[in-house]
Amino acid sequence: MALNAKTPEGPLKDKWQNYLDKTNIVNPANRKKIDIIVVGGGLSGGGAAASLAELGYNVKTFFFQDSARRSHSVAAQGGVNAAKNYKNDGDSIYRMFYDTIKGGDYRSRESNVYRMAECSVDLIDHMTAQGVPFGREYSGYLSNRSFGGVLVSRTFYARGQTGQQLLLATYQAMMKQVKQGTLTQYSRHEILDIVVVEGKARGVIVRDLVTGKIERHSAHAVVLGTGGFGKIFYLSTLAMNSNGSATWRAHKKGAYFANPSWTQIHPTALPQAGEHQSKLTLMSESLRNDGRIWVPKKKDDNREPGDIPTEDRDYYLERRYPAFGNLVPRDVASRAAKERMDAGHGVGPLKNAVYLDFKTAIAKLGVDTIKERYGNLFTMYRKITNIDAYKEPMKISPAAHFSMGGLWVDYELQTTIPGLYAVGEANFADHGANRLGANSLLQASVDGNFILPNTISNYLSNEIRTGKISTDTPEFDEAEKAVKDQVEKLLSIKGTMPVDQIHRRLGKVMFKEVAMSRNEKGMLWAIEEIKKLRKEFWENAAIPGDDKGPNSELEKAGRLADYLEIAELMAVDALSRKESCGAHFREEYQTEDGEAVRDDKNYMYSAAWEWMQGKDWKLHKEELEFNDIEVKTRSYK
Amino acid sequence: MKLTLKIWRQDNAKAKGKLVTYKLSDLSADMSFLEMLDMLNEELAIKGERTVEFDHDCREGICGQCSLVVNGQAHGPEQHYTTCQTHLRSFSDGDTLTIEPFRANSFPVIRDLKVDRTSMDHIIQAGGYISSFTGIAPEANTVPIHHDISESAFDSAACIGCGACVATCKNSSAALFLSAKVAHLAKLPQGKVERAERVVFMVNAHDDEGFGSCTNTGACAMVCPQEVQLIDITRMNYEYNRSLTTVEG
Amino acid sequence: MAFKKGLFKTSVGRKNLMAITGLFIIFFLVIHLIGNLILIIPDTFFPIEFWGGVESAHDMYNAYSHFLVHFWPITLVAWVLYAAIAVHVIDALLITLNNNKAKGEKYQVTDNSTSSWISRNMGILGSIIGIFIVIHMAQFWLKYKVLGTEPDLYQLVVATFKQEWVVILYEIGIIALGFHLVHGIESAHRSLGVYSKNAMHVIKYIALCFALVMTVLYAIIPIIIYFK
Repeated sequence: MALNAKTPEGPLKDKWQNYLDKTNIVNPANRKKIDIIVVGGGLSGGGAAASLAELGYNVKTFFFQDSARRSHSVAAQGGVNAAKNYKNDGDSIYRMFYDTIKGGDYRSRESNVYRMAECSVDLIDHMTAQGVPFGREYSGYLSNRSFGGVLVSRTFYARGQTGQQLLLATYQAMMKQVKQGTLTQYSRHEILDIVVVEGKARGVIVRDLVTGKIERHSAHAVVLGTGGFGKIFYLSTLAMNSNGSATWRAHKKGAYFANPSWTQIHPTALPQAGEHQSKLTLMSESLRNDGRIWVPKKKDDNREPGDIPTEDRDYYLERRYPAFGNLVPRDVASRAAKERMDAGHGVGPLKNAVYLDFKTAIAKLGVDTIKERYGNLFTMYRKITNIDAYKEPMKISPAAHFSMGGLWVDYELQTTIPGLYAVGEANFADHGANRLGANSLLQASVDGNFILPNTISNYLSNEIRTGKISTDTPEFDEAEKAVKDQVEKLLSIKGTMPVDQIHRRLGKVMFKEVAMSRNEKGMLWAIEEIKKLRKEFWENAAIPGDDKGPNSELEKAGRLADYLEIAELMAVDALSRKESCGAHFREEYQTEDGEAVRDDKNYMYSAAWEWMQGKDWKLHKEELEFNDIEVKTRSYK
Repeated sequence: MKLTLKIWRQDNAKAKGKLVTYKLSDLSADMSFLEMLDMLNEELAIKGERTVEFDHDCREGICGQCSLVVNGQAHGPEQHYTTCQTHLRSFSDGDTLTIEPFRANSFPVIRDLKVDRTSMDHIIQAGGYISSFTGIAPEANTVPIHHDISESAFDSAACIGCGACVATCKNSSAALFLSAKVAHLAKLPQGKVERAERVVFMVNAHDDEGFGSCTNTGACAMVCPQEVQLIDITRMNYEYNRSLTTVEG
Repeated sequence: MAFKKGLFKTSVGRKNLMAITGLFIIFFLVIHLIGNLILIIPDTFFPIEFWGGVESAHDMYNAYSHFLVHFWPITLVAWVLYAAIAVHVIDALLITLNNNKAKGEKYQVTDNSTSSWISRNMGILGSIIGIFIVIHMAQFWLKYKVLGTEPDLYQLVVATFKQEWVVILYEIGIIALGFHLVHGIESAHRSLGVYSKNAMHVIKYIALCFALVMTVLYAIIPIIIYFK
């Protein structure tokens, strides 16, 4: 199938309006005849569920948490971008579009990015109206901070808990619709398959995580807002239960998976402290506004940070990138940290960290200002490490964070399966090869609240005569049987290797070879390792208990089974792209001083992979055209 | 370090539960409390025994999913921490820890340490929102909000809905949770329009869900991971009484 | 408005009722204390010319009790007081029953370090006070009614407090009351929604001081009479 992005006609700045003007919509009276399944209760899924329910559709929402308020959008700290130009610093929708395209290293779709920037303006209004207590100036007007990769201040924030506040607003909007009866919640339910009937997504197979029952649910359209799959690295900033299963099962049912290898490695997470570690806590990028990153100039310098004089410190970001300094984009900052650590300048007991120092800022602004800006982050840091960051520098380290890749979607956010939509991090659309800070909350929110409700109607307008979708069809039978067979198969392994241990080993392989810095030899090795782990998993995983009730080990095993397949596709994708762009850094393609070398002639495309029934993947290219922006070498120097 | 764990095991809401003792060695003080449970579960899985079910997700103290009571203290010994933020350095080598689920009639046990907190969703459903809908919002800077009011609203809005307040309350009251939402929205101009209905509907829902009545012992605010303050309960009472005495909203 | 479930039926409403009745009882306690402080006025203070040359505490106290009984608004207030006490008790029982129902299975290990003993045991303190009130009423109110038209109440009080067990009983009751007040006053203001951090801070200390003063003054009456 050839990829058709369905980008609307007209100049870039008119495309979205042109689309809205001409798209088909559904009569309010007909909306209640239409069922929509939304998977995921975070900012994108939850926003979509609430907005669609407000429009009057029958919406069912599924999520594995006990409440939608716990979706991992909750953990986003720093902020959400919007081109409001409240600071009078020259910001505009175009500039935001420009920054995002450039930040993504010219590997994203122009029309989508422009639309995201356009909708950002409404989003702040929307969230304020919903009661989000954004940070404010003493005048009472909204305040902004700046984030990596841009030269303006366009980030709106609610202390260091912006994601939480946006999510709670979305969750509350969902609860409002639950009360009104247009939204039905299925908490503690996990999607195990997408059901495709006559080429269209018509339902899902889910497992009730409390009773263990496998259930069928049908709808006229299915929306996936299931987030990213960065947990594939085991150690990541993601929640323990975040997973790629829903998107992967959709992929196996025919949805193309785009740019799977583009994973953002966040530069400011807490370093791993030991083997047992399960999670790398993120420290917001906003800390880089006032914190300075450095390592000792001498290798293996074991002095306390306070004892190292300024002349023995290497502020390597300021040295290498004088224009942006500590505020270079995430991929650049992570890679620079890795380079220093690999060269033997890492700090901390495992030599796996760099310093993030607030001494200069505290001296200049005073402790109180720093406390108001980042108080909760410093508290969080102390809770986890027992170190007071007001007195000594934080130790930070890169960690897997965000999946730029995801299900391929067109301008309408529809995947290659008609009727199946992907929103937020689950799709691939807006961030190219690297996401800018505070664009993630933005993308998730606008996808769910503003874009999807307007594009899905185009598809649903043809469904008003379809009537209720029956779950009593061979397609549902088959999908349910496949799911049940897999559960049974997992439980019958009865091996001796705990699921988490296999996952940890997979994570190590992936972080070593398919993360910040990649090369052909390493990835070929990784593919072999992944295959070995997959074999070991299916032969020797220890999954105790049964499927008659809650069974976390079974849940984890199902997710890991998918990760073991996604991992391979990630490596395949990274191997096929013989250039360095954004987060995808191939060691073979770099300049002498270690900067990325892009190959626009051969690789200016999004790679959408088609599942070939487990034998291999077929590559489909969506060529990217840049008409409204000059394609340049990305430089932050 | 070595620890002895007495963990509450219960098959489902109707089954009888009991404490089961496990011994763990080779623990390190840097481990988080939940990583210790991970380790126990790995040992159980290798032996083919059913693992201990417990709720957890973000492991950075913000999702509110973890819900353990350690030695009678909701979320463990450190005040204003979630369970996932608790590390083993808070305990001494050789300690015995009794680990139980959050207990309240409105939090039925699902299995072992997992409890069902949908009762808290029901409270929010009753009115814990601003009924604006997507697309309707005016330009965000139309209404300036005093910096301190916004910050104060944030203090209340920070609630992560974990339910530790209920678990620690001798009356199993969800007053702190409920009042945090009432206070958050009542403080902001956007939320003032519906303040009267909101508080009454939410208090009614709170009671219908079977939570107890607040007797102002203050234990909830002492354990709250986000340090939501007791004054929010006072705000809720104020809003409630205000709603009964005003003629219009 | 249709959505209102009723003033005192919800968890918040019930606490309002506790607060209102409680504060009314406190108002009575103050008046009651002032009246009974007559009992311990030393003889050197008499005669007091200002009140028409009352000759002794004995006379003054009996005149005071005579006034209480025969001034009809006082009788009315007294009945309101009985009602307030009854409502306070019944409401407390209802709240406690409901709260017990809300509690799930008991914790195997409990830790009470996060709240004060007083705040957790208002029920026990209240029960002690309740028992005390019954005995107190039986000793004076009932006897006053039984003994006929104009009994010598002063004599009765002095005679009663010359018994050791009565003094001990009263001290227990009064101390329980003091503790009850410490939490009760703060809690009542919270229940009524005094939404001010500063005010609540002040109220907390006022409650403490008030409870202390009330306890000491009430407590010394039986003791002074006993040793007189």
